[in-house]
Amino acid sequence: VTLERDQILSEFIDAWNAGERPDVDDYLARAPEADRGELAGELLAFLTFAPTPAYSDEALQAIRHEPIVADAHGVAAERGVVLPALLTGLRERMSMSTSEVAGELVRMLRLPSSGEAKTASYLDRLEQGKLEPARVSRRVFEALAMLFRVPRDELEGAADMGGWAAVSQAMVSPAPVFRADKEAAADVSRHLEVLADALATPGGERRDEVDELFLGGR
Amino acid sequence: MPYEPDHVLLRRYHEERDRGELEMAAQTWEGLVVNNFDRIKQSVKAFRFSAGSRGLPQPEWGSAASEAYLRVIAMGANFRKPEVGRFYAALAKCVHNACMDYGRKDLRHERHSAGSVDARFDPDGEAGPYDAALAAYDGELRARSIDVVEDELDKQDAARLVAWGIGQMTSDKHREVLEMTYIKKLPAEESAQQLGITMDNIYQRRRRGVLELEKILRDSRA
Repeated sequence: VTLERDQILSEFIDAWNAGERPDVDDYLARAPEADRGELAGELLAFLTFAPTPAYSDEALQAIRHEPIVADAHGVAAERGVVLPALLTGLRERMSMSTSEVAGELVRMLRLPSSGEAKTASYLDRLEQGKLEPARVSRRVFEALAMLFRVPRDELEGAADMGGWAAVSQAMVSPAPVFRADKEAAADVSRHLEVLADALATPGGERRDEVDELFLGGR
Repeated sequence: MPYEPDHVLLRRYHEERDRGELEMAAQTWEGLVVNNFDRIKQSVKAFRFSAGSRGLPQPEWGSAASEAYLRVIAMGANFRKPEVGRFYAALAKCVHNACMDYGRKDLRHERHSAGSVDARFDPDGEAGPYDAALAAYDGELRARSIDVVEDELDKQDAARLVAWGIGQMTSDKHREVLEMTYIKKLPAEESAQQLGITMDNIYQRRRRGVLELEKILRDSRA
């Protein structure tokens, strides 16, 4: 072990503890080529349980403006949930199209092959943030987790974050409040009856297995 | 929003969740994850498939860190443990998994582009035909160790765990330097002055101590 390597590690530790946001890459670059692999392991050993430094306001502000942080929180706020961004990232990392993912899901869930296009459509809506993740079956999350090699809990956790985001958006844009006047009940009652009739009327098309998986909830 | 320590944020997150204040809990969790962004990003850069081997290619750092960051945010929906050390261990596992997943992507790409991994074997080069498989194997072992660490963290918070780990060290010299590093957060120069030793000694004891501490935290749970 070279003294230089010891010193570099130590300087990283001091910079970290001081909240100076040291960059591993800069410190590795200072080490001789042959030492970099070992030094990386030592830096990681420290980072795993290192105390989080007491960041200054400026440092925290800079962190919030990091593209990864800004994107992650921006996407979550804009699309309502964390899941779409995570799913898209995982799929792209696997270099798979939505259709290919759908094909794998159909096979893993033993669905009829005719359901592939519909599965792809649901997956696409899920990635777009246009399908409420709470309606998606746990079996789908299990299959996706297996396919993407991630823990199912993480995917479901990302889906569950939707509830938080929905609450958050509701608080930002409060719904208008109306006070009903005396005739309101009579005016509204006939509309309610029409709505009740419509809700009670059976749909023309029955849900199939794919619909149940993506709309039937967990 | 000014800085607040991790253990304060984690405790508040649990209190808010218990009271059903999910919006507040989400904001508090966000603060906790932001506090730990550098830990995630720098751990991705330091990640190695096995001791001393190569890490992720530089172009993958951003994507891997981004995925790990999202996965840590997602943890907030179900995180039940109040100990901040448990959070650090779970975070380390997220980063590790994300990096391993990106490593698998590289392996697939190599297979597609070169026909087979064996076809790229260079007997005189550093990289061998089984590098990726060995890296994955090492990674699984490492992940298992982290699981075991998490179990222990159920019982102790991070500061206590680190303090306990430091207390287990056989070398008094390493122990006192690590207490100054992790607990008191003293810079190397100040530690050297207090202990009356050279800077070179501090550097050496810190490195050995950091590695010994990590080994203690892993092995004690096996």
